Amino acid sequence: MPTPAEGAAAERAIVVAAQRGADDAFSALVRIHQRRAYAIVRAIVLSHEDAEDAVQEGFLHAHRALDRFRPDQPFGAWLYRIMANAALDLVRRRKVRDADELPESIPMPFRDPAESGELRERLQEALTHLTTRQRAVIVMHDVEGFTHGEIGRTLGIPEGTARSDLHHARAALRRLLQDIRSTP
Amino acid sequence: MTNDRWTSGDAELTNALRALYAAPAEERYWDALEARILAHVARGDEGAMWWGELIEMVRPGLVAAAALILAATLAMVRSQQLEARSAYASVISAPSTLEAPSRGASVGDGDVAIHYLLSR
Repeated sequence: MPTPAEGAAAERAIVVAAQRGADDAFSALVRIHQRRAYAIVRAIVLSHEDAEDAVQEGFLHAHRALDRFRPDQPFGAWLYRIMANAALDLVRRRKVRDADELPESIPMPFRDPAESGELRERLQEALTHLTTRQRAVIVMHDVEGFTHGEIGRTLGIPEGTARSDLHHARAALRRLLQDIRSTP
Repeated sequence: MTNDRWTSGDAELTNALRALYAAPAEERYWDALEARILAHVARGDEGAMWWGELIEMVRPGLVAAAALILAATLAMVRSQQLEARSAYASVISAPSTLEAPSRGASVGDGDVAIHYLLSR
């Protein structure tokens, strides 16, 4: 198994090849990073479908900006920042569209009611009461296991802000769901 | 006081969050997503290329149009300047219209002024 340093060197070589126009090198970067990229955008947007759109858009932006990437920097951090921005753009566009077309609607993916427990449904609803950033922070931290520092770098916010967003997001979820949780 | 640490009672909330945000597990899904991403990138680059080529094609026309507009503006400004200059010149070189009327014995200064004003 390669060491982290060997892994980073191998990835740098792939990035340089992609910068020279090798399509298979870019495909390799997509293969390596798409799961993590999906996890980041999924933390920001409200549905799986939007996450897929944001990942595609993020990779397109990354491909266009590849010439400007300095290979001595960590590629993942650069790419995930682009992904987060693509997801935030999508959320902004959705808000504008929803404000124009469906003022009363709460965007929520369709789920078969038979498959959804009460907690799940209430959780989905409660998450829409958080700000986009609070939702992203709590999902990235509690679901994906990102550190506060990684969240800060990805979302372009100070680490302390990520910590405070997490605190407020948890407090809000506790408050919104206190009546259905089995343990107080 | 609200604690920002999850308690044991929060574990079910965390589990529900993880279930809600669980990424697809099937390998086939990721293969398909990879193909869609690459197709999207290729389409996006084609679009950018098409737009770039269009810009390249119309660039000489845009340059010519800009040059024409610039030339027309310069000609207009120049013609206005010439017009203004000739207007000044005509005013300066024209014989004075304020020639004093010849004083007749029967015409007074007040009459001269009224006569002048009426003649304007």
